[in-house]
Amino acid sequence: MTPAALSRSRALGWAAWLAAAILILALPWPAFARTPADRVIRVEGRRFEYAPGTVAVNMGDRVTLELVATDVVHGLHLDGYNLTLTAEPGQTARLTFVADRPGTFRFRCSTTCGPLHPFMIGQLTVGTNDFFWRAAGLIGLAALAAVWGLRR
Amino acid sequence: MTRETLARLILGGLLAGALGLSLAAYGLARRDVIEIHGRMAEAGGWTPAALDATVGQPLRLRLVADDVVHGFAVGQMDWPAINLLPGRPVETMLTFDRPGRYTFYCTRWCGLGHWRMRGVIEVAGPGAAAAPAGPPLYVQLGLDLDAPRPASAAPLPEGRPSASRGAALAVEVPELGEPRGESPAAVWQALRAQAANESFDDAELWEAVAWLWRSQTTPAALAEGERLYAANCAACHGEAGAGDGVFAPELAHPAEHTQMGAGHQTQAPTAFTDPAGMLGVSPAVLHGKLIRGGMGTGMPAWGPVFTDAQAWALIDYLWTFQFDYAASP
Ligand code: HEC
Ligand SMILES: [Cu+2]
Ligand SMILES: [Cu+2]
Repeated sequence: MTPAALSRSRALGWAAWLAAAILILALPWPAFARTPADRVIRVEGRRFEYAPGTVAVNMGDRVTLELVATDVVHGLHLDGYNLTLTAEPGQTARLTFVADRPGTFRFRCSTTCGPLHPFMIGQLTVGTNDFFWRAAGLIGLAALAAVWGLRR
Repeated sequence: MTRETLARLILGGLLAGALGLSLAAYGLARRDVIEIHGRMAEAGGWTPAALDATVGQPLRLRLVADDVVHGFAVGQMDWPAINLLPGRPVETMLTFDRPGRYTFYCTRWCGLGHWRMRGVIEVAGPGAAAAPAGPPLYVQLGLDLDAPRPASAAPLPEGRPSASRGAALAVEVPELGEPRGESPAAVWQALRAQAANESFDDAELWEAVAWLWRSQTTPAALAEGERLYAANCAACHGEAGAGDGVFAPELAHPAEHTQMGAGHQTQAPTAFTDPAGMLGVSPAVLHGKLIRGGMGTGMPAWGPVFTDAQAWALIDYLWTFQFDYAASP
């Protein structure tokens, strides 16, 4: 191959890698990952924390939050969705909603439960995890491209 | 002195007098408002925890929750409970028409020691004290609440026997003494002993027992029992009666937990879903334990809190963890 032809095929090769990268970033996320599911999430509230403190669901899921208070009366107010639950030990509070707004939302205790009550906070993430998978795809692609580039 | 000055003085004096009078009246009215602070039991409970009142004279209270959500109610009275949110004092007025010793208590769970959050109101004055309804049934029957319970001689049923199916069986029921003084297992054996019941199998006789138990209560009592159970018992005995309430681990292992001070000897709350435990005990004994308490086991004494009807409604409801009372099987 002439040097000119060689460099042209190299350029073509890099263009192919770039196209693959753009594809990974922009390809619509496969529909199956978004099939809404019914999810029951049990959150225990105790002075002054939630367990679990972070909760993740997918867009469109029908989420049933169960708040179980294990010492005193606690509440849970979910920012963004504007929902409030109040639970007393022995009386689990339940609430069902459709997670139709993507993003990360704080939830906080809405019933005064002692000195550190303002710090009783948790977090709900609504969204597919496609950011993670796209990033992983890009890293894999970069590794392959590096191997390809070195071989030439 | 001119006429004008005189007029001014009189007017001023009148105004000042009116203001002073209304202030004095306000002060007099406030003087007998008693402020009661509620804190978690570990932090002191109610202060003051002992009050005095007089029959017919209003007792004015200002209730303040200092730390977490509490509630205020007077035992055995049907006054609605008052919710107390921190930072939102509530004023109330109680008027008693019979003398006696009343218990006031916290109605919202505020930790394992919540039920210790109680106080007394001594009401003095003319009239007969609220008549006690006679000694409780377990005393009348001479039952020992703490006697060891022999293992049930009757074979235990599988699943929850259906009262409605039992009602359809036309089982021969022998003469029973005080029905609430017998355990389900004892009644089962009495049914088995009837020659006329020979054609019924063991499961059918359990259904007949479920029917006999259901016929001692009413849907209204069961609904009241369910409500009282959720508010007062589920935190220890579990929402479904399985002995697995949120405080059960602490009661079972008091030494490993800090909420209870050292030196408390408590035990795991009873599982009302366990047939081996429940079918061998009579309603009278359960009722006795409910009103007297477990004496150091962690089971509170509810006698001063519930009326007789409420206590029995609770006991009736406990049997729904064993028997299926649904209208159709
Ligand atoms: C603070 C925890 C606690 C609460 C609240 C509580 N219990 Fe208990 N209960 C216990 C424990 C622990 C036992 C077991 C000890 C015993 O048998 O004395 C028990 C035992 C009992 C028993 C005796 C069972 C048997 O077989 O002897 C009855 C009946 C009972 N509870 C009813 C109730 C009812 C009804 C309520 C609500 C009004 C209630 N309990 C609330 C802790 C609790
Ligand atoms: Cu809280
Ligand atoms: Cu309280």
